[in-house]
Amino acid sequence: MRTAYKVLAYLVAAEVAVQAMVMVWGIAGLGKWVDSGGVLDNAVFEEAIGNGGMPFPEIAGLVVHGINGTFVIPLIALLLLIVSFFTKVRGAIKWAAIVFALVVAQGQIGFLGHEFPLAGALHGLNALVLFGMAIYAGRRLRAEAAPAAVEHEQASTATPA
Amino acid sequence: MIGHSRRPTHGGTGAGSSRVLRVALPVLATVAIVAPLGWLWQTSRVPAVYSVMEMGYLDYGGGAVSDPGGGGHGGHMEGRMPGHQVAPSRRVTDMVADPARPADVRVELVTQQQSLTVGGRSVSGFTVNGTSPGPQIRAMEGQLIEVHLRNESVADGVTLHWHGVDVPNAMDGAAGVTQDAVPVGGEFTYRFVADQAGSYWYHSHQVSNPQVAGGLLGSFVVTPKSGIAQQVDVSAVAHTYGGLRTINGKAEDLRVPARPGQRVRVRVTNTDNGPMQVWTSGPYRLLATDGTDVHQPSQVSGRSVTLTAGGRADLEVSVPSDGSAVRMQLSKATAVIIGPPGADVPVPPQPAEELDLLTYGTPAPVDFDPTHPTRRFDYRIGRRPGFVKGRPGMWWSINGRLFPHVPMYVVREGDVVVIHIDNHSGEIHPMHLHGHHAVVLARNGVAATGSPWWIDSLNVSPNESYDIAFVANNPGIWMDHCHNLKHAAQGMIAHLIYEGFDTPYRIAGPADNQPE
Repeated sequence: MRTAYKVLAYLVAAEVAVQAMVMVWGIAGLGKWVDSGGVLDNAVFEEAIGNGGMPFPEIAGLVVHGINGTFVIPLIALLLLIVSFFTKVRGAIKWAAIVFALVVAQGQIGFLGHEFPLAGALHGLNALVLFGMAIYAGRRLRAEAAPAAVEHEQASTATPA
Repeated sequence: MIGHSRRPTHGGTGAGSSRVLRVALPVLATVAIVAPLGWLWQTSRVPAVYSVMEMGYLDYGGGAVSDPGGGGHGGHMEGRMPGHQVAPSRRVTDMVADPARPADVRVELVTQQQSLTVGGRSVSGFTVNGTSPGPQIRAMEGQLIEVHLRNESVADGVTLHWHGVDVPNAMDGAAGVTQDAVPVGGEFTYRFVADQAGSYWYHSHQVSNPQVAGGLLGSFVVTPKSGIAQQVDVSAVAHTYGGLRTINGKAEDLRVPARPGQRVRVRVTNTDNGPMQVWTSGPYRLLATDGTDVHQPSQVSGRSVTLTAGGRADLEVSVPSDGSAVRMQLSKATAVIIGPPGADVPVPPQPAEELDLLTYGTPAPVDFDPTHPTRRFDYRIGRRPGFVKGRPGMWWSINGRLFPHVPMYVVREGDVVVIHIDNHSGEIHPMHLHGHHAVVLARNGVAATGSPWWIDSLNVSPNESYDIAFVANNPGIWMDHCHNLKHAAQGMIAHLIYEGFDTPYRIAGPADNQPE
């Protein structure tokens, strides 16, 4: 379970990195396409997101960002939270819960950015907080794991009564 | 190492119950998270085969409460028992044009699934009579149209919906609601009287998101008996194929030959999923919206027309007398160029302001009194996490609920109906009510003061609200959905039902009906 916890925590961090990468990749592709005369409006955008009409290939970055952020990362964070219940390491549940809360907030802030673009700035900042927290959770678990194992053994030996 | 233990060491039974707790608590915590998710997932699922009459909950809008109709009864999916049948059930299939009346216009349409060549690129799509868009159908006001549809090769089946035409219910083309999807080799005949002159379009309403995006559509124009005042009458169907913007199926500007001084009517149709801005190099008049004339439209300069997904706008421009042309931009990407052959004008900059139809034109009486409606409904659009059809995601909600637990708006023939639409979902929604035209009363609580603004497709931006009114004068069962067809496929579908009506058709089922 502890290995699973660490893997999931680091996976959240890795996914946040992927999110940043594909977004900037997509925006860079958009810039190049517009420079060469492409026109992006809602109709083209709607055609690209979901219907697969790709005016420029890098728009896939925006599609991946949406799928990752809406489905994949929340699922990983949820699994991390569930796994944390079984790790029996002090603080593990707290860190996983914080990571999960940051993921939920990140999604909501992201969708809020569709309406209030300034929320997008917060979305970018919260990504850094989430990245840091996910790394912290993974590292703290490693630091805390050894003493907890001893505690577990001790509890076992005390059981027969 | 024992000193590292962080809990007091219990002896005997204390340690035993503590151990039980240590095992049970994580399991309970997991169940506490997974069980509600599982319940939400379970309740979001729809039966393999169902009638739209079973969807959601009945909303009477403060009007007379009664059972809506025959076999289905709204609310099966809510776990309620069927109500009593108070009125003899009428079926959507009864609502047809006079079968004894001979057709004035006959059209044969054949649908195919094939690849299209657009702007030198090959994209997968659909054709009607070998082309996309399909042939334009033209009729004169009052004529009876008979369209014989044969599906040659569209594997998922097809229907034809007459977007903006208030046809009898059985002719509406909504798969699983008013008819079964027409399978490969199958046929269907649409008959209706074109009693309102204006610009419309037709498109498939079976698996409509990919089929419309793939070009299974065409233009439909009804000309007034008295004729039109313009010397040139041209249609411009805007569509995006695989990310490529086109007019009338070509990824290039549309050139319309016209002599200096001539007045030209351009019927612009937006067949995409998002709104389009339309503006011109010279002044224009907006003659009609969604197939209904604007009353005393004035000349407009420096403003663009916002044409919502599914909407139509008829614009009039005059060809300059100096031998130059007029450009009408359909978005920044494509344009209609009107004037003598070879004449051109530079691309006009996109106006910063949009024409406000709330104040455009001059007031005129409408044929009903919307100030004392018999029913008032809310259609509040939101977005929230949850499950739709068993799939997790951020879904569109109607009045706070997710598909299929959405309202069924129940009306009685002759009702004056007001619908309050508001949008707190963060994205634009082009709202489309089948079978009716509604007049806009107010936007964001500010009353309309211009010409009566009639719509069948309404652009509702984030944080906007609209009050619209109509007379329930076309009995049947009608979809009331978002015409960003991806949003419809994601569950933005409600229905307007007349009491006493039922449908023999089913969603899914043997015909595999999937209207969205």
